[in-house]
Amino acid sequence: MSIYFAFARSAFMTQLAYRNEVWANMIGKLVQVFARVAIWIAIYGSTASIAGVSLKQMVTYALLGGAVTGAIRYESIISGIGQALRTGDVAVWLLKPASFPLYVLATELGRAAFRFVILVVPTVAVVAAVYGMLPPASPFHGVMFVAYGLLAYTIIALLSALFGLVAFWLLTSFSLEWMMQAILNLLSGQLIPFWFFPAQVAAVAAHLPFAWIVYYPSAVWLGRLDATETLAYFGLGLGWAALLAVGVALLWRMASTRIVVQGG
Amino acid sequence: MLRTLRILPRLALMYFRSQMEYRGAFWIDRIAQVITYASSFAVIWILADRFGSIAGWNWSELALLFSFHLLGYSLGACMSFTQMRQLEEAVRLGTLDTLLTKPISPWAYMVFSGLNPGYTGHALLGIGMMAWSLSIVAVPWSIGWVAYFVAALLSAAMVTGATLTVIGATALIWTRSNHLYSLFFGFWELSRYPLNIFPTAIQATMLSFVPLGFMASVPVAVLLGKPVPILGDWAGPAALLAGPFFVALAMWHWRYALDRYQGAGG
Amino acid sequence: MAEIIEARGVSKRFRQHRRFPGFLGALKTLVTAEYTEVEAVSDVSFAIAQGEAVGYLGPNGAGKSTMIKMMTGILVPSAGDITVLGRTPHRERQANAREIGVVFGQRSQLWWDLPVVDSFELHREIYAIPRPRFDANLKSLSQLLELESFLERAVRQLSLGQRMRAEIVMALLHDPKILFLDEPTIGLDVVAKDAVRKFLSRVNRERGTTIILTTHDLQDIEEICPRLIMVDHSRLIFDGETAKLRSALGSARRLMLEFASDPGPLELKAARLTSDDGLRKHYLLERDDISLVQVLDEIGDTTQLKDISVEEPNIEEVIRTFYQRRNAELPAR
Repeated sequence: MSIYFAFARSAFMTQLAYRNEVWANMIGKLVQVFARVAIWIAIYGSTASIAGVSLKQMVTYALLGGAVTGAIRYESIISGIGQALRTGDVAVWLLKPASFPLYVLATELGRAAFRFVILVVPTVAVVAAVYGMLPPASPFHGVMFVAYGLLAYTIIALLSALFGLVAFWLLTSFSLEWMMQAILNLLSGQLIPFWFFPAQVAAVAAHLPFAWIVYYPSAVWLGRLDATETLAYFGLGLGWAALLAVGVALLWRMASTRIVVQGG
Repeated sequence: MLRTLRILPRLALMYFRSQMEYRGAFWIDRIAQVITYASSFAVIWILADRFGSIAGWNWSELALLFSFHLLGYSLGACMSFTQMRQLEEAVRLGTLDTLLTKPISPWAYMVFSGLNPGYTGHALLGIGMMAWSLSIVAVPWSIGWVAYFVAALLSAAMVTGATLTVIGATALIWTRSNHLYSLFFGFWELSRYPLNIFPTAIQATMLSFVPLGFMASVPVAVLLGKPVPILGDWAGPAALLAGPFFVALAMWHWRYALDRYQGAGG
Repeated sequence: MAEIIEARGVSKRFRQHRRFPGFLGALKTLVTAEYTEVEAVSDVSFAIAQGEAVGYLGPNGAGKSTMIKMMTGILVPSAGDITVLGRTPHRERQANAREIGVVFGQRSQLWWDLPVVDSFELHREIYAIPRPRFDANLKSLSQLLELESFLERAVRQLSLGQRMRAEIVMALLHDPKILFLDEPTIGLDVVAKDAVRKFLSRVNRERGTTIILTTHDLQDIEEICPRLIMVDHSRLIFDGETAKLRSALGSARRLMLEFASDPGPLELKAARLTSDDGLRKHYLLERDDISLVQVLDEIGDTTQLKDISVEEPNIEEVIRTFYQRRNAELPAR
């Protein structure tokens, strides 16, 4: 376990080395969050509440929405795994006493921790100071938000790993990154919460694994789910995570067998 | 100059043939593109369907804004994006060095040897959507209006290409520049919405340092006779001049960066 | 002979953003803008005449590639000036490019996925080579380097040796007056290295192409370049005939005396005894002006002397002793 911690730590440190990137990312993040909030303010205009959701709640949703997806760069997991498999670099990993997918996830965890501290928290704080942000609906919802946040991280990391493994067979990782982005924009609730979706579309989207990445954590914070629902959907999310983990393990085994058999 | 023009189609053709060596990946890229745009349109459609209009722009006007953005972007990006994104790697691996020893402009070589056929997909999608939205938007048809439309579209493409080139050329000085693309695409996402929904600071930025406001929001607002923040009455000519102005700036920056180029080290 | 390349007091400094170690250091890096300057080339001057073949030699980081990049117009010198065929390379980069050929051992200029001949055809367009001249050059050069068998094959299917041969041929298709090669034999096997050396040497002799090459492999220089420029720590330390490097750097010749019967210990003033096997004695001739006659004079009775040999150290040995001595003399830096 400690090696993976070391991987994560060194990834965290490496991020600091490129200061221009840190500043660019910080500004980019700030613009993005400001803009998403601005879009909602424009949409609401002078209306106080739409579909039982107030503007204040919507602004809070937009701020929280960036918290998970803002910290993780799924594209580096996809291209990291995809590239290592394609170039055969992964063969080296098969000899080491560490698992390659776990290595990639640990490094990305280190980077995500960095971005969370340096990028997400400050930008959310700044925008919240300007537009205001609601506290969690109750202490219970606050605690569950943290649990949902960690689950969200796990699911997005596993999904990216899955896409990365698929990239090995498809010989392209760029298009898979684009696809992932497209799916997240729509089906995670990142841009529009499901309560504004047409009812049937919302019903389907709310049960796909993407929903746990943005929609559920934010909905829990706002108290849109009661205690029983909160726990039930958490269980469902765990189920999805387990399913994805099995998928990753399976594809990983297939890919590495193929590499060993073909000699890279 | 004339000789350079003769070489460019050949470069584009060689790139296309190289790509065709990986036909499977090429078609998967196309599928990914369709999914990406389907999702973007779905987002806008859901918003328009639910809320009717955003900041005084109705659904068909937003669709025109969207298609103008998409078409202008694909024209500009096919001449710049994937090529300029490779520049960072070209610096690191030293391939840029080899280009600099050839009697041809390294910019022209890079751009044309990477002329991405994938953008035809974007362009077709943009044209289709544009035709449809033009058929339902109240347009004050006239020769002048159409001429302005075409000129503004070219200007938008130039702004796109210039901005992406400036970012790419920065790699010659800093050796890394790809992180700036995430900044670009942050603003890029915003430039598909009417400019007046944003805070003044973001509006000002999008009309100056990151001139993506000229990609669609400003020209389409002018075309539809809607007010443009900050620029006011100057918006009309500004949208046309932005393209040439930022292209000149990008050319100057490219030369400046080449003079500062430090190589891959060693 | 006309000088076609001149470097006068050329320096090149690189600026690097200063990074601080450790976690707090990393945070500090985030907000400071301190730079360190590294001088890769300091005050280097030389002149190269038409038709010469010059080896540019030095350890890693001595500024060899930087110098090549300045002569080809890729980099702009920080101080001093360079003239190549009467032009300042970085100011008239394209005009300069038309008359030179450049080969980078570690970077391919061929199109990875396409047949070799396609890259050659593109090269013809870019350099505006008239068709008859192109055809004639392609024919004779590919015969010499035996490219015919793989001209139609995709570059990614070639061996490193085949690819390198193709790179060199391409760089010569437009009849450049000067050919620059940066580590042309790196990674090649013995046979391929030999083919490349013989070919370059022939191009230099028969076509009169001026050749400037950097390398790690001294055999490249011994076989191709009568003249050697050596740099170390960014400065020029030797410029002259390869054969004279030994005396310039002060490496000793080796002397071996073989006797019919052991004359016992034999100390000489003219040469220093390094090992004594009884019948065979080894010496170092540390001074250049000492001749064999002086040694024989000093022995006096030569009736027991069976054999005598003087060995010039090879260039590799010369350079090794030079660095060993320099490292002993210089304070650590």
